[in-house]
Amino acid sequence: MMEPLISIQFVGNKSSYQAGELLECDYQIDAIDREELQAIEASVLWYTEGKGDEDMAVHYFERRVPADAEEEDLRRLRRLRTALPNSPRSYTGMILNIRWCVRVRVFLPRGRHAHLERPFQLGTPVGARLPPPVPPPAWLPASHQVRT
Amino acid sequence: MARRFRPWQKKRGDRRTGSHLLGSVGEAFFFAALFVTGAVSLAQVILARVLQSQTGPVPSGWALWLVLLVLVSLIVIGAGGVIYAALHVGASAERRAALARKATDLQLLQPASPSSKDFPTVPRDTNLTNSPGITLAYRLPIARSPALELLGVALFGLLWNGVVCALAVVALNAHLAGQPDWSLTALLLVFSLVGMAAIGYFFRLLMVATGIGPTSVEISDHPLYPGGQYKVFLTQSGRLAMRSLELWLACDEEATYRQGTDMRNETRRVFLERIFQQTDFEIGPGRPFEHLCELEFPRGAMHSFQSGHNTVAWKLIVRGEAARWPPYERTFPVIVYPDPPTWTSA
Repeated sequence: MMEPLISIQFVGNKSSYQAGELLECDYQIDAIDREELQAIEASVLWYTEGKGDEDMAVHYFERRVPADAEEEDLRRLRRLRTALPNSPRSYTGMILNIRWCVRVRVFLPRGRHAHLERPFQLGTPVGARLPPPVPPPAWLPASHQVRT
Repeated sequence: MARRFRPWQKKRGDRRTGSHLLGSVGEAFFFAALFVTGAVSLAQVILARVLQSQTGPVPSGWALWLVLLVLVSLIVIGAGGVIYAALHVGASAERRAALARKATDLQLLQPASPSSKDFPTVPRDTNLTNSPGITLAYRLPIARSPALELLGVALFGLLWNGVVCALAVVALNAHLAGQPDWSLTALLLVFSLVGMAAIGYFFRLLMVATGIGPTSVEISDHPLYPGGQYKVFLTQSGRLAMRSLELWLACDEEATYRQGTDMRNETRRVFLERIFQQTDFEIGPGRPFEHLCELEFPRGAMHSFQSGHNTVAWKLIVRGEAARWPPYERTFPVIVYPDPPTWTSA
């Protein structure tokens, strides 16, 4: 059985946003019969990557079933709009990364589902790799040594 | 075929390979089995008690209450597990997270907590700003009270050495009886070393806590912002010949993860900057060392962050070395907010 084709497009082809800015994106489902789509969920969320267990929180969430859609067709192009929060900012650290994305998940018969996500940046790129202003002191444990 | 019927699956934290639907169904069956076992057994016990069955022994007195407690626990755990699994079948991670967020937002309606709503995942600074300073606006609390650490080490030392003493009595009796247990004696030697190390560490902590006076850090404003300029007032009391006293700004990433059945923590220091250092000076009784210094918080730095398993924590660290004393380190957490230009109110 073929997987549906999910497409997500940021308005203006942006991939970076500032806190409080309006995120707008369009999403659409193709390559599937209208009757096959049982529900569709669109979320704007952040999640962590790295050494620790994954944390995730949803900033925006909408779930639609055929009855919510025009002509009960969930495949049609739909625009998602939400003002982004002040935090957490996107972050690339050493044992922790924070990623933002728009995720669209479609629910199919027999409990199957498929999803696609498009990452974006919230805030000015922030990384842990700020240069240490002085050489790390000898008393610092090896696990705490600043690496550049 | 191999993908569909994979006998082993990988699991790390809440993430796992394989079908979530099958996992939830298996979970539901497990809890349903607990529920059925509890319900059937409970019915059997009650019937046997009511009918005074002669077919087998019927518990009475405290044993009856114990059996009832276990069976009712099975029923409650089983029913709760089935309901939990049923609620999670077909619900995506995003939907569950959205429901959790709604619940959190409802809780936030009662106490006014603008920082939690306006700055999700940034820890609140209430506990850091409720103590006014003498020279500057806020006196920062110390991260870890030495009294708690002392108490913990003292309890461990007492328990450990209590066990060592009990083992020593047994071993000594065996030796006196002419039937020495050499494996126990060897174990006792190893245990004694650990016990002595615990006592030594306790006295070291006690010396640092009582001999080196309190350290205080005050700050001109809080929370901090990247690029902001602040004043920091450092005070060190005691009667000490200091070799060095340093104030550092540090940022740690902290991660918690499950490995098998263990919870593990890992910390990585990602930023370290010395704000102040003074070497070779005396601190006299009634004349605490005081120093006012400037802190320019680095631009472009990450804000404080706290989620279930991951943290970005900023802190001021005071480190001192005094003659005849072991080096000591005292940590004062601070909260850093994101860059201000584009804030919005939730």
